[in-house]
Amino acid sequence: MELSVFDLSKQLGVAQDTIERWVRQGKLPVIKKGRNYRFDAKELKKWASNHNIKLNFYDKKNMPQKERLSVIPLSVAVQNGGVYFDIQGHDVNSALQSSIEKISMIPDDFKSDLLDRLIEREKALSTGIGNGIAIPHPREQLNYLKNPLVSVCFLDNPVDYKALDNKSVSVLFFILCPDLKMHLHLLSALSFCLRDHKFIEFLKSGPDYAGLIEKIEIIQKTNPI
Amino acid sequence: MSKIKHFYKNLYRRLFQLDDRLLLIIAGSIAGICSGLAAVALRLSLESVLEILHPFRHYGWAFILPAVGALLSSFYLEKIAREGAGHGVPEVIYSVSRYGGILRFRSSYSRLISSFLTIGSGGSAGPEAPVVMSGSAIGSNIAKFLGLNDRQRITLVGCGTAGAIASIFNAPIAGMVFAIEVILGEWKFVNIIPIAIAAVAGAQVSHAIIPDQVIFNHLPFQVGGADILPSLGLAVVAAMVSVLFTKVLRQTGKIAKKSSLPFWARAIIGGSTVGIIGMFMPVVLAEGYHSIQSMISGTFSMGMFFVFLAVFAKIFATAMTLGWGGSGGIFAPCLVIGSLTGVLFHKMLIILVPSFGCASEGAYALLGMTGLVSGVMQAPLTGIFLIVEITGGYETILPLIVVSSISSTMSHYIEPASFYFKELIERGQFLRPGTDARILSDLNIRELIETGFVKVSENMVFRKFIELLKTSDQNFFPVIEDGTQEYKGVIQISTIRKFALDPGMYDMVFLNQIMDTNVLTASLENDLQEVLDMMDINHMDSMPVVENNRFVGMISKTRILDLYRRELIMQTSDH
Repeated sequence: MELSVFDLSKQLGVAQDTIERWVRQGKLPVIKKGRNYRFDAKELKKWASNHNIKLNFYDKKNMPQKERLSVIPLSVAVQNGGVYFDIQGHDVNSALQSSIEKISMIPDDFKSDLLDRLIEREKALSTGIGNGIAIPHPREQLNYLKNPLVSVCFLDNPVDYKALDNKSVSVLFFILCPDLKMHLHLLSALSFCLRDHKFIEFLKSGPDYAGLIEKIEIIQKTNPI
Repeated sequence: MSKIKHFYKNLYRRLFQLDDRLLLIIAGSIAGICSGLAAVALRLSLESVLEILHPFRHYGWAFILPAVGALLSSFYLEKIAREGAGHGVPEVIYSVSRYGGILRFRSSYSRLISSFLTIGSGGSAGPEAPVVMSGSAIGSNIAKFLGLNDRQRITLVGCGTAGAIASIFNAPIAGMVFAIEVILGEWKFVNIIPIAIAAVAGAQVSHAIIPDQVIFNHLPFQVGGADILPSLGLAVVAAMVSVLFTKVLRQTGKIAKKSSLPFWARAIIGGSTVGIIGMFMPVVLAEGYHSIQSMISGTFSMGMFFVFLAVFAKIFATAMTLGWGGSGGIFAPCLVIGSLTGVLFHKMLIILVPSFGCASEGAYALLGMTGLVSGVMQAPLTGIFLIVEITGGYETILPLIVVSSISSTMSHYIEPASFYFKELIERGQFLRPGTDARILSDLNIRELIETGFVKVSENMVFRKFIELLKTSDQNFFPVIEDGTQEYKGVIQISTIRKFALDPGMYDMVFLNQIMDTNVLTASLENDLQEVLDMMDINHMDSMPVVENNRFVGMISKTRILDLYRRELIMQTSDH
């Protein structure tokens, strides 16, 4: 493969001036084509290993991939997770249990394990963030899930959730993610929505599935990440 | 047909472009032959002019001869060739380390002419430095003609040097060692072979043209184990004389530079002083090969007191010649002073211990030469090999090594830089390969700068900046003026942290209220050394680069370390 000065400077991560100076000083094997310098990638590598020089090529394969997982917006995560109404329960544990049972995206085998984890998390510190809303989530990520989920569960009866403002909780946002980065992103997006008083009032009014998704999409647009 | 062409192209590439050994050997031997010819030409013309002038030496007015020679020489250098006086070796070393050995074509003959005028008329100087200059310029210009790169050019400069020294002394190994030890300063596999071939070529040229070498023909010496002890003493004396010689040379040069006399007046004063000394002591005149020859063969007829005086007279005469406008080198004067020192030491030894069975006076002259060459140039290997080759055998090698190592170590202790390097060190131009100074001189700000920074306007509200911060991975934000795009200051995340965590501030401040305006900036023209010093003194890790009030990029220590390492690897790997 033939490389130009520009290609090589990108591959080695140095300035073009540096490459040209190295050629001028005779430090790199070069093929002169008229006034232009060309490099043979194979020859360069062979030369480098023969002379025990580490050129540190940035291989395309080994490039650290910055944005491997495409960031899924909150509205899509909610669509993945689903919205569930009329959840029974008189305390934290029973509310969580009946919600988990309803959420269809969780494989049945894992449901009891997930419940244990959620209860454990609640014992450590309540996820009730106030205004009658809680965002239960496990501390470890769930690698059996394919996609990140945000499931919204509306409780029939408000439950005492030991929330920060001592208000009883009637809406649960489950954040279930295969991967921590995704989790943090969704948590951040969700907390941005929940800072909006109008959104909370909207939640209290008992919206339907389509209305909720639409509302989230609108708020999302004001907070692009 | 196209296949043949392809094959030829491939062969050419492999032979000359990707691996240049063959090319360098061929070009190096040409450089060796050419510089050998130049050296022989200078030697022969010097011999003949000295012969022509010889009958006039005993006239009273003969003392003006060196003055006329020095005058013509400095006039030629100042007005016609427009090159600086002096011996030229530091210039070659500097050019090799800084500019990849680029030398003017003019240099290949100008020093030959000026030193011919100086030495031919009787000035006390050596023809070696001029032929080194000329040989290296020949090598450099052959490289230029062939369109070679810096590394190859440096090798050819070394080839030219080696050929010249090898030819003038008929000593190929000494030529090779001198080129590598003094001029190039690095022993690299790829350099050694072409330089060795060039040295042999130069010596062969000299041998072919002057088959019957007048100077330094091989002489057998009987040096026994008993000479080790006296040679220790000689080494100490030689080191002292070396230091004295170096100091006198430098001081005389400084006095000449301080005096407000025009160059011609300086040349006349220097030349006539040498001429007057020469009236009483002809041994100080010219390059002195004949005196060396007579000292080595033991036919030197001066008494001890006169030899003692001659050592100082030669030192002074050389300093007056070189410091006051003459042109030439210090190699031959070193040899003369060295052999005088050796002879003096031998004479003293005979008087002090009459029954001591030491070697002949000639052998001590040789040892003295080694001592001086090693001491003044601090090039011990050159000293050893030159004398070994002159004597044509290894019988003297043990005392030679003793003298050479002690003399160079002692003079290094007193005067840490050799005569050739001292000037360069004082000017900050001593850049041996693989040293910090060399790497820093190669890297410049333009190569190190990191660009692609998002700039922000000075009238941006802080809240907007916080939004920008969310999606950015920059740690530094240059702040620019709206209309003119001029650089105003910089925002460092580390300094605005406490505002960034306080949402109450978001709508209250504009960026020009929180930016740093007194951050030191560098410009593209700055030396990397200066920038690094500035960063060190002010404990900075990064520095904005601003050119004509425009922000160009950032320079950071992380990036400098990265490129410094690569540069070091590239410079020190053998290739």
